[in-house]
Amino acid sequence: MISRREFLSFGLSLTTGFVLSDPKRSWGAPFPQFFFAQIKYRSGEWDPNPRFAEAIIEELELRTSIDALKERRITTFSDPDLYYFPFLYMAGKYEFEPFTSQEREILRRFLTYGGFLFAENTMGAKGFGFDRAFRVEMKQILPDHELKRLPLDHSVYLSFYLIESVGGRQQVQSYLEGVTIDQWTPVIYSQNDLSGAWARDRFGKWIHECMPGGEAQRSLAFKAGINIIVYSLTSDYKKDVIHHPFIKKRQSL
Amino acid sequence: MSLKEILIEPMIPLWLIYLLLLLGGAAAIFQYWLTRKRLVRSRAIALALLRFCTLSLLISFLLNPFSLERKEYKVLPSLAILFDTSPSMELPGRGGKSSRLEEARAFLSEGSNPLLNSLSERFDVSLYALGEAMRSLKEEELTRLRAGKKKGDLGEAMRQLSGKASLALLLSDGNLKWDETVPAGPSLLSLPSGDPKEYRDMLIKEVKAPHQAFRGREVRIDVAIKAYGYRGMTLPVVLKEGSRIIAARDIRITESPAEVGLTLSFTPEKVGQHNLDLSIPAQVGESIAANNRVDLSIRVVRDKIRILMVSGSPSLNYRFMRMALKNDPSIDLLSFVILRTPSDILNVPIREQSLIPFPVDTLFSKELNHFDLLIFDNLPCHLYISPNYYEKMREFIREGGGLAMIGGPHLLDGGRYLGTPLGETLPIKLTGKEVYRRDASFAVRLSRAGRTHPITQLSPDENENENLWRDMPALDGINLLEPKTFKNVLLEGGEGGSQPLLFADSYGKGRTLILATDFSWKWYMGMISRGKSHWAYLRFIERMVRWLTKDASLEPLQITFPETFGEAGQELDFRIKVKEERSDHQFRGEVVLSVFDSEGVKIESHLKASQPLGEYLGFFTPRREGIYRIKVELPNVFQEEFVTIGRPIEEKDGAPDHKRLKEISAATGGNLFLLGEDLLKDIDAYSERGGKSFVEEKRSPLWSLPHALFGLLSLLGAEWYLRRRWGLI
Repeated sequence: MISRREFLSFGLSLTTGFVLSDPKRSWGAPFPQFFFAQIKYRSGEWDPNPRFAEAIIEELELRTSIDALKERRITTFSDPDLYYFPFLYMAGKYEFEPFTSQEREILRRFLTYGGFLFAENTMGAKGFGFDRAFRVEMKQILPDHELKRLPLDHSVYLSFYLIESVGGRQQVQSYLEGVTIDQWTPVIYSQNDLSGAWARDRFGKWIHECMPGGEAQRSLAFKAGINIIVYSLTSDYKKDVIHHPFIKKRQSL
Repeated sequence: MSLKEILIEPMIPLWLIYLLLLLGGAAAIFQYWLTRKRLVRSRAIALALLRFCTLSLLISFLLNPFSLERKEYKVLPSLAILFDTSPSMELPGRGGKSSRLEEARAFLSEGSNPLLNSLSERFDVSLYALGEAMRSLKEEELTRLRAGKKKGDLGEAMRQLSGKASLALLLSDGNLKWDETVPAGPSLLSLPSGDPKEYRDMLIKEVKAPHQAFRGREVRIDVAIKAYGYRGMTLPVVLKEGSRIIAARDIRITESPAEVGLTLSFTPEKVGQHNLDLSIPAQVGESIAANNRVDLSIRVVRDKIRILMVSGSPSLNYRFMRMALKNDPSIDLLSFVILRTPSDILNVPIREQSLIPFPVDTLFSKELNHFDLLIFDNLPCHLYISPNYYEKMREFIREGGGLAMIGGPHLLDGGRYLGTPLGETLPIKLTGKEVYRRDASFAVRLSRAGRTHPITQLSPDENENENLWRDMPALDGINLLEPKTFKNVLLEGGEGGSQPLLFADSYGKGRTLILATDFSWKWYMGMISRGKSHWAYLRFIERMVRWLTKDASLEPLQITFPETFGEAGQELDFRIKVKEERSDHQFRGEVVLSVFDSEGVKIESHLKASQPLGEYLGFFTPRREGIYRIKVELPNVFQEEFVTIGRPIEEKDGAPDHKRLKEISAATGGNLFLLGEDLLKDIDAYSERGGKSFVEEKRSPLWSLPHALFGLLSLLGAEWYLRRRWGLI
């Protein structure tokens, strides 16, 4: 399966001799509002689903008005551009080496002043491995704010789709967790391996099966993914009073 | 009556006088003893007696005898006759008199035996006119006396008469100022004018309206209508702005006199000065038609700045701008983000979508005037808003609204604004070929105009401000645009650092702005990445909004009026403040003040520099009632304010108030006399009470009388004659 962008890029490359689909060349064009910036941290397994981005970006472009890049950017805490990334993504299965105090300070400043981080535990085991290490780090980075379950009226469940349950490759918990500072939740955390549900191989086949809910569970994973991305770009927009009657009406249908 | 007495006032102590008298007697006896040798006894005794009498007379002068004459005089009591010349005294009087003042004058001066003559026999009469101030009158001036334009102040007059008059006679209809505190002064006798029973008038007696109101919140105006001589009728009370009726209510008049209260309410939708008039229709036979209308001036301010923001898609630019706007408690933000385009596919039933319809018609047709500012953020307008609404938007801006367009690929809607009413308002030249580029990061710098413009004045210090902008994080995207004039370019950047980036201009009464980048949010996160504060971005957005909405805090001119205005004829002064950034040398002396009356005619006004620098005192004298427009101009900017000059509403009631006259008279110890009553009889009682007399004393020393000298010389002459005759000399 070939995407629209790839098709256009390929066509243009034939006439110009350039390969515009090269990630480096396509970096600035066509004016993306969104791309994944994935954190490469030390030890553990920082990239459990290397092919997760393509399908969710395709879905995002198909359903929403957001222009996005399929190519993810791999970054570290020392990246000077870190503060300009719209969506910092962090995933893993296993326990990882604690962040240095400098890394913690960078992340604390990034999250406190407007940045956004989506993290997920792809192993599916609560209290072990990545889950335990991530919670420890969050406590160190934002000690005054707890990582806790986001209630069903949180904007992330309303930002594009109205969702009541979060899917994923596995169904560890039906909700998202997050750290909320005032009205803004700069950290959203999932244990359901959303990226595992999004990941496709180069032939377009799903890499992982979604258990136990199958394709319905995968669909929920995509909806959750789109909602998290839209939330990262609109904040609590759906909490504006004008949305209330519409959302209430639809929820009661 | 005259009395004469002889009194002494000794010059030395009495015992000394007695001693001298004793010595005188001894001297006479000694003389007798000397002369007895040469004369017969009887002759010696005669000479000794003569000498004793002479000495006694001389010694008696030491008693300082004088005669005292007392004369008692009786004086006439003083009577001050006050003619009330308040405006209502111009209204028709009783007995076919042309005015109440004429009625009063006739009562006093006409007839076979004018009352004034009778009073002059009993009193020392002084005449006064009681208008804006009390002034003395001569009798011949009475026929020329006319009502004035202001109510007489009786309390002040009584204070002035205190000690000057023993009695005051007031000729009035009762419509004068009296502050209920009785001043020390003469008793007041009143002669009422006008006929309360025949008086016919409808008037707006009282209006309670706020000077300031909030846009979108109900304004309540409490009104009292007074009716004299009318009953059994329904009367409309109408509140208008220009020719537009904004509130109206009917009232029912059932009795006379009657006072009916009502409340009119309306909700102002536009910020600014609202000049209203409240009126009731004139009735047949009304005494005063002018009191059927009251001018009101209400300044409508916004409680919050209302912003409608439409964003073309979810983006960091939207999120950070939203955060900045939400961060400001004075802003009420309604934002719409286009979450999906018409070509995007929705794969779920409606109950699983949170998307709401974009209420274009409601927003741009009905509710547009409820907003102060429109923000289009990278919006492909043609997909969502019909060009039919562009005319409405232009009208919105022309009437004082603000428009901000934030950059991005869809900023100018693919050139579709070219030739449209909305395109006309923008501060750029539209070609339809505008380009968006995102080649490389670029820094920004202040343009010449940007150095002094309120939006880009993040710091009051010019150098600091310039450095601040130079240090702002680099941006990535820019719309390449051409300004209508470079005076409107505030920031530059892009390739070569000279591409205009921020444009701001006025259109009609409103303002428009283009920020030709969708990366201004980097000014926020870029500062955070450097470990600095993000205040510059927040302040920039705040100042941008306040400038676009003409918030007073950013306006270069402020005009401040006193809490209460004077009346027509009184000088009105007010303060003008030129904001710090505009009060530098280049604007000094260029402040221009103009004042226009309610007919738009420019009237004389003056402007005086005050302290501190940048403050001025303006003043003018309104010649008549009405709404005056005050315009203060600086180069490229002006500020207008309106003031309503009118007579106090309570002065417009011309009904004779005899009851009040009676109360005032009684409070001073006087009385109210009605027509036909024997005024002289009663007034005599006051004359006796107030009558006064004084005694004149005249002292004449007796020793200085020629009789005393003559007596002394006679005694000495007689002694000399007898001595010579009897051969002693």
